[in-house]
Amino acid sequence: MASTTEPKVAEPEQSTPNEQQKPEQKHLALGEDDEFEDFPVDDWPADQTEAAQRNGETKHLWEESWDDDDTSDDFSNQLKEELKKVEAAKRR
Amino acid sequence: MNDLFKGFAKAHAEQNGYLLAATLSPIATSSNPQRLRLIWKSSHSSSVKGDIKHFIKSNTSHHRSLDHEEVKGWVEVYAAYWNAIGDFVAVEDGKSTWTKVYESWKDLTSALIRGYNSFGFEAWTIPCLYVVGKYLRLFAIRSDTERSRNAGDNSGGAALIQDDFDPETEKQSQLRDCEQHLKRIFTLCLNDRAPLEESRKWGIYFIINLLFKTYFKLNSASLSRTILKTLSAYKGDMPALSAFPKSQRVTFKFYEGVLFFLEENYIEAEKYLVEAWELCHKDANANLERILTYLIPCRLLTSHVLPTKALLEPFPRLQKLFLPLAQCIRKGDLRAFDVALQEGEDEFVKRRIYLTLERGRDIALRNLLRKVFIAGGFDELKEGETTPVRRTRVPVAEFRAAICMGSGGELVDTDEVECLLANMIYKDLMKGYIARERGIVVLSKKGAFPGTGV
Repeated sequence: MASTTEPKVAEPEQSTPNEQQKPEQKHLALGEDDEFEDFPVDDWPADQTEAAQRNGETKHLWEESWDDDDTSDDFSNQLKEELKKVEAAKRR
Repeated sequence: MNDLFKGFAKAHAEQNGYLLAATLSPIATSSNPQRLRLIWKSSHSSSVKGDIKHFIKSNTSHHRSLDHEEVKGWVEVYAAYWNAIGDFVAVEDGKSTWTKVYESWKDLTSALIRGYNSFGFEAWTIPCLYVVGKYLRLFAIRSDTERSRNAGDNSGGAALIQDDFDPETEKQSQLRDCEQHLKRIFTLCLNDRAPLEESRKWGIYFIINLLFKTYFKLNSASLSRTILKTLSAYKGDMPALSAFPKSQRVTFKFYEGVLFFLEENYIEAEKYLVEAWELCHKDANANLERILTYLIPCRLLTSHVLPTKALLEPFPRLQKLFLPLAQCIRKGDLRAFDVALQEGEDEFVKRRIYLTLERGRDIALRNLLRKVFIAGGFDELKEGETTPVRRTRVPVAEFRAAICMGSGGELVDTDEVECLLANMIYKDLMKGYIARERGIVVLSKKGAFPGTGV
């Protein structure tokens, strides 16, 4: 969140008098880049909320942290090889 | 200045607090970019109070009339406002400092508070407290920035002489001062005994949110707890949070959630952050992003889940922040996890999520061990059994091989592996016991890795 606004407000004293005529809104945003922003409106109807946007359906937004389907990547293949080696060592 | 008091009169006629508050804004409007300069130029310090009184009287004469005391109070407020605008305009011209603006805005704050305490300002006018409080904080921050820059310019002599000079505390001294004044507004709202429908109590959450922002900025987030404790002592007299505008509710829930998060109470944190997220305006992407910045690490620890691409799709910055880690966790690639954590360290620390994410390594390890379990396949069916049962006796050596590999080929000795396994069992991420003398781990037949389907 910092990168887009920071350069503009970081060194306001370097701007020329002409540039200072720009809307003060940006001016005053200094120090705000890392905190919760003021909403442009005070209140909004329920159908404008994020929950309504998602129709109360949030399942597709989170997934389990493991992956059963994808066992063909290099890491998984390598793991299988390692486990085979252990198996082989045991037999010896 | 006449325009200003036309607005003032209209606001009073309609009892519209937000309209009134707009007259106290230190921001020019797009329809009138010269607004501040015009106000400043339309009076003089020797006559400003008389001018204001005249404008208030002439504009409000055909509306509901204000009583004498109220007029007196508003004259003080607008005189202080006019004065502050003078400093503000001067800063724009490079002829004043933000410190001066802060000081004069502080006078305005005091004049406004006096209006409620001594001149009978009505509760519908509380949005004025919002505007004044909001900019008091912003001007304090600007003043601190300006002062520390100036201090940097002539560093050397002065600072060295004072032994007890603490540059960190000094850096934010104005914001600390500002906190005191915001607390006065907080008390002003909290202690109003008027019936609820005409109570300043309706201002409480806006002010609390300002205080939260201030405490977080001062790196003293825990002070927010003091405010919450005071609030809960008054709970019975307070309107329910659900009766407040959503902008205030979302902000409040967010900070309350982050507070729990910093206290490592992730269960509670998740509750508040989810509420904030659901209630947030769907187009307020910057705020949704801030909520998710904490909700994602939170859910990783509470429910061991990761965000999907669909969730992160509108937030490229969050993708950059979390996707590398998520991928390592999913794979169980411990080495890559450590690298990703290290690479993002600065960002993670800045957002106060590093320590929480670090604990995600347990989930990565769980997934790695789970892969070993899955790779072990099934035991042969015994008599009477109809459904295949996974092999639940897994040699420690297999786990060791996996951990060595996951650690990037590093040799991890058996003792350490057993220690890691015991830890997993202790944290309920894996169910079973280690049979040391036989060098195997006996895993539970009913859910060796709770919550993961095996």
